[in-house]
Amino acid sequence: MSKIKVSKIKVIKIWRASSLSFQLSSLVVFAVFLCGLVNPLISYDPVLDVDLSRRDLAPSLSFVMGTDGQGRSVGLRLLKGVEAFFFPGLIAGFFAALIGGGLGAICGYLGGWVGRSIAAILELIDTLPRMVFLVLICTIYPPSILLIAMISCLLFIPSIATVVRRKVESLGAEDYILAHVAHGFHPLKIISYHILWLQCRALLTRQLIFVFSYVLFIETALSYLGDYGVQEPYPSWGNMVAQSRISVAAWPWAIPAVAIIVTIAALLAFGDGIARRDEEVKR
Amino acid sequence: MNQEAASQKSVTSSSLHDHRPAERSPLMTWIGWVVSKLARGLSLLIGSSFIIYTVLRSAPGDMVDLILGLNGTPEMKADLRAEFGLDLSLVEGYLGWASRALTGDLGISITFMPGEPVLELAGPAFLVTLGIAIVSLFMSIAVAYGLAIFLGPPRPRQTLLLGPIQLLNAAPSFVVAICLAKLINELIQFQLAGGGQIPPSWYPIPTYQRLSDSIAPFVFAALSISLGDGLFTDLFNALRSELNNLSNSLFINAVRAKGASVRPHLVKNLIVPTLSIFTARLPLVLSAVVIVEYIFTLDGSGYLLLQAAKNRDVPVVVGVSLFFILAVIVMNLILDLVKALVDPREVAKGE
Amino acid sequence: MSDHTTSVVDVRDLVIEFDTPRGRSRVVDEVSFSVSPGEVLGILGESGSGKTMSTQALLGLIDGYPGVMGGQIDLTFQGERHSLLSELPHFLFEKRGQLEKQERGWRKHRFKAMASLWGRGATAIFQNPRRSLDPLMTVGQQVLESITAREAHKPDDTKLNKEAQSIEALEWLERVKMVNPKRVFGSYPHELSGGMCQRAMIAVALACKPSVLIADEPTTGLDATVRAQVVHLLQDLIRDERCAMLYITHDIREMLYLADRVIVMRHGKVLERVSTEDLKDRSSERHPYTRTLLEAAGMIGGDNE
Repeated sequence: MSKIKVSKIKVIKIWRASSLSFQLSSLVVFAVFLCGLVNPLISYDPVLDVDLSRRDLAPSLSFVMGTDGQGRSVGLRLLKGVEAFFFPGLIAGFFAALIGGGLGAICGYLGGWVGRSIAAILELIDTLPRMVFLVLICTIYPPSILLIAMISCLLFIPSIATVVRRKVESLGAEDYILAHVAHGFHPLKIISYHILWLQCRALLTRQLIFVFSYVLFIETALSYLGDYGVQEPYPSWGNMVAQSRISVAAWPWAIPAVAIIVTIAALLAFGDGIARRDEEVKR
Repeated sequence: MNQEAASQKSVTSSSLHDHRPAERSPLMTWIGWVVSKLARGLSLLIGSSFIIYTVLRSAPGDMVDLILGLNGTPEMKADLRAEFGLDLSLVEGYLGWASRALTGDLGISITFMPGEPVLELAGPAFLVTLGIAIVSLFMSIAVAYGLAIFLGPPRPRQTLLLGPIQLLNAAPSFVVAICLAKLINELIQFQLAGGGQIPPSWYPIPTYQRLSDSIAPFVFAALSISLGDGLFTDLFNALRSELNNLSNSLFINAVRAKGASVRPHLVKNLIVPTLSIFTARLPLVLSAVVIVEYIFTLDGSGYLLLQAAKNRDVPVVVGVSLFFILAVIVMNLILDLVKALVDPREVAKGE
Repeated sequence: MSDHTTSVVDVRDLVIEFDTPRGRSRVVDEVSFSVSPGEVLGILGESGSGKTMSTQALLGLIDGYPGVMGGQIDLTFQGERHSLLSELPHFLFEKRGQLEKQERGWRKHRFKAMASLWGRGATAIFQNPRRSLDPLMTVGQQVLESITAREAHKPDDTKLNKEAQSIEALEWLERVKMVNPKRVFGSYPHELSGGMCQRAMIAVALACKPSVLIADEPTTGLDATVRAQVVHLLQDLIRDERCAMLYITHDIREMLYLADRVIVMRHGKVLERVSTEDLKDRSSERHPYTRTLLEAAGMIGGDNE
């Protein structure tokens, strides 16, 4: 009981101490997460939603965000569109942080030729222009959002590994890591617990959020192109933006466009806020 | 008297303490540096083309069937097999394919523009892409630099003013491009409203065809890339903090204290960090060009890539991808060279 | 104290403050000192005693808010007296019971006012020689820049031409006892050792022909042997150039060797003003803090034997 109370007070304290941009962004991120989590519970049939008698209605009480050219509710489609990137983004972010963090820690900790050859392979992946590589993959393999998420995860491993490696290299010079080595701790324990968990936690969380926002970006971009992502009539923020080609009214494409920008901005600010907070705590 | 003796002593002792590490002649250091950079670029090129080849080989099912579909003749199939070395082992196949690619033989288009050599399709198109990428980088840097100098060191009240700039960080270039395209459509429609033919507002192309051969779509594509994807915000933030650090730095104060002009020192010292950002952002900018070209229907290699991918024209897609990778590596080499020319420390540490 | 009318530098009641997370703190509290032509004034004190700040104020190079908040600084240069802080009260205003400064306007004003004084009036060498040289410019060019800046103020007919300027730059590198001045002329700072960088910095500073040189702990980052060289070099060159110097250090031995007069600072206040001869005299009465410094340096015994 008392434990819950303490953590509650702590949350309020952190909330009060953080900046306005962090507060706003965490609200948006929370809302998107909520949408993503309740999404599987919402049943939505895009075909049944079509009603040509209510085309291009302006936002009103019954349709908060108006309707599009086929009379479908923009708000509902926006909500349902979260599904397209939410779980793929989380999975890609999680694995990118896990693998990238692990590889980076190994590179930085071991050094030598093992570290250098891993670093060389990672640099190779980093040279590939991401969008071009994704299109190439989608030409050769049957495209699906899960494949896209997997490739995004792969493409982000090098940059995460580099960040972690630099951190580990700077830590490696510190005496207490040397002391752990001298105490005879198992290297795996030092890498996974003392380095990755204790030191790189916030950094990896930030990277996870960054990859998530990239999957959101790439999913909307590919769905906008219309051949690889989510296909009409199923909603995605990307193919909703693509309505700009055929829509008479502005809101069917402008609202998802704003949603994309606001969500990515909130994710980035949230990640930065977490990293900054962690630095402050350490100091 | 005692002091005189001491100073005399210092003259003789000074020569003892001028230790400098033994070093090679500057020319040799330079040549060594250039060779190592070239070797690195070459190994990156080999490695990344190998990745692409491996992806090709790993296609599910028979790749020839995938490429040709159902209407391929047995001769065409045999040709394709030879082209990609499908009957050989992975390494042998790669060597054959890569050596043909080196001589400029990237195969021929199958479905998108049947019979056209890929090189002749991708080459000219890539010039457009490269042009957009470079123009957008320079646009971004010019505006970021101007704004950073205009605003000066960070002050609390600017946070509100800078909000929109920070929001641009999150705007994907394709969203910026769509908004720009819509905006231009509206503007041009408005101008034509008095008379003449009103172009349909549903898609930007017809407008541009009317302004045929105009530079407008090119400029707007470059503008949306330079504003989108956080390129501008990154450059602006980096330049601003760099400018701030520099103008408070010890050596700039030393330059001030001797009564000389600070500006040339500032400009020279800003070049290297700017180029580093260029290097880091280049693959992202080229990625953004792909989709923005598609939106503005510019005949660049991004548009070509997406059209070919839509038609599952594998040789064209592979050829264009190779061009993109080559561009990243060559541009990085050039940027490294410029950096080394400006900052001698780059050569010293690059050994 | 020395006569105000003949002094090169005259600082009176200087106040410098900074905003910290714990509120406003006064790092220099009504400090006064003056330097006569050709004289070496030593400022002795531990780190954080405000000794660096009081000399930075002389160059108008204090960053951080609010900085200089009061006092007077007079710099006499070519027979003309420049009051650096005469305009300061116009930039001060009161807000919520606290004195604030219009930072942007003041910065502009002070850069404008200092433009003619930097270099020829007063110049400085700093603690970290490696970071006080532009990393992207050869040492020779940086010495040359000082000379060019100095010559720019002269009337056209007496100006040195480009060739004479580069010859002078090379001479300066010889004068600071570089072993191979020609090679050093074309070298970048990262190719030189710390001691060589500091000597190059001395060349850069003295090539301006300043009437007062501010040496801010010029030996702190250097090895013991190199330190001695730099101190000897400074002493010789200052005497040759007939240039006054403000020598800041926490090393009392260097102080005794170089300075004519010494002021001892602590917590932003001047504790004691004393001539070097007096300081060397073991029997004379000293401020307790000065005593501690002398004891720490092993100059006098703990029980005053």
